[in-house]
Amino acid sequence: MFSNTEKIARPARLDRDRGLVDAARRDPACFDALYRKYLAQVYSYAFYELRDHHAAEDATERVFMQALTGLPRFEERADSFAGARGAPKASAEIPADASTFRIWLFRIARNVVANERRRDRRRPVASLEHATGLAAADDTFETAAAREAGSAAWQAVARLPEDRRRAVVLRFVDEMSTAEIAEVMGRSEGAIRVLLHRALRSVAADLRARLS
Amino acid sequence: MLGGSSRDARRTERYLDGLMDAEERGATEAPMDLDLDRAVLYAARELRAGLVRVHPSFRFEEGLAARLAQAAGATPGTPNEQPAQVFGSIAPFRSRRAIAPAGPAAHSGRTTARDALATLAASRRLSLTSRPSRPLVVGGVGVASAAISIGAVYVAWRWSRASQTPMVRAARAARFGRAYAHGHGRRAAVLHGILGVMS
Repeated sequence: MFSNTEKIARPARLDRDRGLVDAARRDPACFDALYRKYLAQVYSYAFYELRDHHAAEDATERVFMQALTGLPRFEERADSFAGARGAPKASAEIPADASTFRIWLFRIARNVVANERRRDRRRPVASLEHATGLAAADDTFETAAAREAGSAAWQAVARLPEDRRRAVVLRFVDEMSTAEIAEVMGRSEGAIRVLLHRALRSVAADLRARLS
Repeated sequence: MLGGSSRDARRTERYLDGLMDAEERGATEAPMDLDLDRAVLYAARELRAGLVRVHPSFRFEEGLAARLAQAAGATPGTPNEQPAQVFGSIAPFRSRRAIAPAGPAAHSGRTTARDALATLAASRRLSLTSRPSRPLVVGGVGVASAAISIGAVYVAWRWSRASQTPMVRAARAARFGRAYAHGHGRRAAVLHGILGVMS
């Protein structure tokens, strides 16, 4: 009896992009708002994964084109975070700003980037170290120091196994919660939590080794 | 019961959540568990500072926006699609003008901005004629009863007032049916009485 009451009282979590998604479904020209909102996030994800600006641009374009054409098939699921692989999660654990549209978009991005990597394996790509490590002519001392720190951080991340690196990028660059990363990567939350913890320990060991 | 690895992973997650929230609030320090691994703390701060979000060039952004707009033109929308759950709707206030048959815009099922402004302006121009007439029942009864009360008070005051004038004495005598003087009839006495009261 208590469980029934709990089920009824549990509020459904709404997608924060519901208004924009509905508008884009009625009029595809309104998709521009969603595009502007998530452009930098999708591009950053592609850039850190593919390590090349041009490849990231190509991937970003594919992601948004696929999202636009696939939008009528997108279904908002309020129980998207309910944990399909385990017991239903408590409502408090669901991030308040969770967006199922964002997860759907990043799933498209993950597939596009994976295809891009498979296709580009035969040709060499410019490394991200070169892209982020080159100093500009008008660099101030602080900018140069930040650039160097960023380069060191990225070099440590780049040496991580693929799944750990992807989790780190989604967490630190795209600022996703553990639940959202789990949805995007198709893993359980516990697995992502442990993945991130181990990734940070590896990065710390790498950075300390470089300093010493 | 959580294992040591899971417990540490949860600590790390809490710290990362706090780190993100602190940056959103503009705080310099994030709340930290004292048992948190120092290596994790160090790496998290380095990555937070070093892994920045990258924005594509403005040229690419606008170019892709144009291509998406072109593709959107070829993609049919779903104007009649209703949302799965309807939480509420906004209904306009009813006014005389809104109830009355409107122009061609209403017949076509679309409301233009001009019609909406005209309806709004009509509702603002309130006058006595535009308001619905309402009978003043309570006020009418009140005014009538007040007039009767004032008249009764005045008569009582006049009768209670002791007057020594001959006219008043004559009126009172006429009221009680007595003849005022020789050579005067009852009719003349009544007339004098009335004149005395009125004065």
